[in-house]
Amino acid sequence: MIKFRLGNDEEMKILDYSDLVFFRKLTNKMRDPKTRFDVREFINRGEDYLFNYTNKNVGGVDERRRKFLKSLIFGMAAAAVVGIIPGVSVLVPPTVTVATGFPKSLLIDSSGNPVKASSLPVNSPYIMVFEYPMTGEPNFLINLGDSSGRPVEINPTKVVIPQTGKTYDFPGGVGPNKSIVAYSAICQHLGCTPPYIHFYPPNYVNSGQLTASEPDQLTAAALLAARQANVPALIHCDCHGSTYDPYHGASVLTGPTVRPLPAVILEWDSSTDYLYAIGSVGVAVYPNGSNGIPSQDPTEDLSSSFGTSVGEKITVSQTENPFSS
Amino acid sequence: MGVSDWFKERLGLDDLPFFRTPDYMYNVNYWLGSLVAAAFIYTVVSGLILLLYYNAEAGYSSTEFIIQKVPYGSVILYSHLYGAYAMIILAYIHMFRNYFAGAYKKPRELLWIIGVIMLVLTLGTAFLGYSLIGDALATSAVDVGEGIISSVPGLSIFIPILFGNYDAGYYGRVLAWHIIFVALIGLLFIFHFFMAEHYGIMPSRKVKDRAPAVYAREEWQKFNPWWPRNFVYMMSLVFLTWGFILLIPNALAYLNGLPQQLNPFLNPQPAPPPNSPAAAHITTYPPWFFLFLYKIADFTNDVLIFLFIGVIIPLLYLILVPFIDRSPHLDLKKRRLFTAFGILMVTYLIQTTIFGDLTPGVEISIIQQIIVYLPPAVITLVGVFALPTGSNKKAIANPLGILAVLATSILFAGALITFVVSPSLLTITAFTVFALIFVLSIRNLSPIVLKSEGEHRDAKAVLEKPENRELKKKIAEILISILFILSVVLASQLWVIPSTGYLSNIFGIDLGSIFIMLGEAISLYHYVVYKR
Repeated sequence: MIKFRLGNDEEMKILDYSDLVFFRKLTNKMRDPKTRFDVREFINRGEDYLFNYTNKNVGGVDERRRKFLKSLIFGMAAAAVVGIIPGVSVLVPPTVTVATGFPKSLLIDSSGNPVKASSLPVNSPYIMVFEYPMTGEPNFLINLGDSSGRPVEINPTKVVIPQTGKTYDFPGGVGPNKSIVAYSAICQHLGCTPPYIHFYPPNYVNSGQLTASEPDQLTAAALLAARQANVPALIHCDCHGSTYDPYHGASVLTGPTVRPLPAVILEWDSSTDYLYAIGSVGVAVYPNGSNGIPSQDPTEDLSSSFGTSVGEKITVSQTENPFSS
Repeated sequence: MGVSDWFKERLGLDDLPFFRTPDYMYNVNYWLGSLVAAAFIYTVVSGLILLLYYNAEAGYSSTEFIIQKVPYGSVILYSHLYGAYAMIILAYIHMFRNYFAGAYKKPRELLWIIGVIMLVLTLGTAFLGYSLIGDALATSAVDVGEGIISSVPGLSIFIPILFGNYDAGYYGRVLAWHIIFVALIGLLFIFHFFMAEHYGIMPSRKVKDRAPAVYAREEWQKFNPWWPRNFVYMMSLVFLTWGFILLIPNALAYLNGLPQQLNPFLNPQPAPPPNSPAAAHITTYPPWFFLFLYKIADFTNDVLIFLFIGVIIPLLYLILVPFIDRSPHLDLKKRRLFTAFGILMVTYLIQTTIFGDLTPGVEISIIQQIIVYLPPAVITLVGVFALPTGSNKKAIANPLGILAVLATSILFAGALITFVVSPSLLTITAFTVFALIFVLSIRNLSPIVLKSEGEHRDAKAVLEKPENRELKKKIAEILISILFILSVVLASQLWVIPSTGYLSNIFGIDLGSIFIMLGEAISLYHYVVYKR
């Protein structure tokens, strides 16, 4: 580095090479006709003008230093931009798994433990509901018994759809006694859901219920139909009195409904005692014919077979006891 | 230099009516508004990204979806929340700084009023945004809001207009109003900004101590042009603000199990949904920026009185203060009453917020209210009015004297509380005696405070030795190089952070750090290049 001594006073001021360059630049700029230093302006405005002039034309610091710093700053800004690039993936929408068939879902209780088939209470008045195959579509889970409370084996049966006169196969109950069934909890008449539609255990299916107060009431037609069909318990909708036979695939006992309740196909794993929902039979939940006439093939909406493993879990909630006593 | 000039020419930056800034104004104290604006812009941008994913028909589950499934969704969501928090805090700081500076005075009355309206809109937007989460806290906050509106006769018609069918889980209305309010803020911001540029940043009280405090055109023409210095300085503040908005919430996301009292302030995660069993175990409290209102609601059963104390009176005061305080003095000592009101507003705001946090929803009797709110009022009023105008008096300038003043203030506050709790001749006598001692001692102390403040200012004004400054600039240059290396390292690390899940929030921490370092580097650059 070259240094120049200025004068010979006590402080011994030293002039740096960069300072010399600065002075040379400044004087050049002052002489340059394009950026001529205006002496008149300088007299008017004093040192402010000089400062501004110097700052504008030569700059306060030496140019190389400034360029280096600037490139560092732009480097940091570039680093920030490069860092943000993976963050742009926020704009890419995450893929959603599309169901191509009915999923196979383990039934769990509200605390997250799997429901054990052998510990399901028989003929329970509690409405046990789980949502399947989609959210917002409740189904009953019922362990059926006879009038003395012993589990009853539910046999496979052909179920008639009064609306179309066609039939479909209901596969029967599952569990240790083959007594556990699951039906849609949406009344096929006008879509009432629990607690309006609910299960009537045997002790509520008698003539006393004809005059009972609102939630316990049964219609005379429902009671008569139960006698004739020789079934001890019922699914009955309090809205308009539709009655279904849970022992025979929730077939229609009394109107106004013209369709049985769709049944959820259950699978029981005898080694673990767990229950799985694997599909659904009956009138399609989403009728695709005209005038609300249902398709008879429940898999029509969904292409493939039952029980596609998606690895879901469904909570069974024991919502409420609709009976007052 | 060429690129900079190119832009300058194309954009005509020198011809824009932007305020030219004198050197002493390159201090964050004069730039608080740009911090608020930076927070506003960040929140708008992150909010627009969230708008791609948020489903107003399923508020809570889409919030969860954004946090868990969307790549870097939690980073965006948490920083959106804290961007809003930052905007509220900075808006308060900006407002009170200008209140104490007397910036509401002529000719800036309209600027001030627009600012107050923007604060109200900001709080409203924040409330609506908070409601969009749909967790137990949000729904209960909406319930409280609806309750307050419906208990004022004639106002309940606004509930469906504002909230739509919120209780049934349809948040479309709330989302729409949230965005409409932001648009209004943006519109007012344009006016606020250009008015501020038109009048110029308010000069220091040392330069202009009377309203109207504006630089004349001739004075202002001598200052530094807006481009590029103001821009450089502004960018350093903007990046620092963005950095902290990103860094803080994403770091807090790793903090688990906060005590209940800290939860409203430090927790970016949503609470459980209102219909889950877990919701029964949490205490509901409003968002922190409404804790003060929530507490005031516990003071009285009459909603109208509550609204007057909590909303209408403070708001009317803030809007009307330019017309009430008509004196041209900007000196705090020459407008003591307004100084006292300002101090009290800040004190009460903080005090009531903490009060609401500690006792959420607990009713407070009149006696307790007096104990909490009277001492600050008396101490502030006495303190402000005891300050002498001149400072020629001899002060107690030793530690013992200051200790004595502290003791007398505690005794004074104690005597006041005793008097309020059990008023009798004895207690009022004691109170009077202690009040007198307090006034006398504070009068003796105040010259020190004022004098030291003055000395501090003078010390700043003294020019640094050039050799010292050169050394400091060298250090600054080395620091910039270190920051550059660090930021490159962090930027490369950003590429390996998983986009979802537990680790994804590190992305926010790292990116926030890079922004902070960039802001700091720009600020150092500003020092090296422009500081004389």
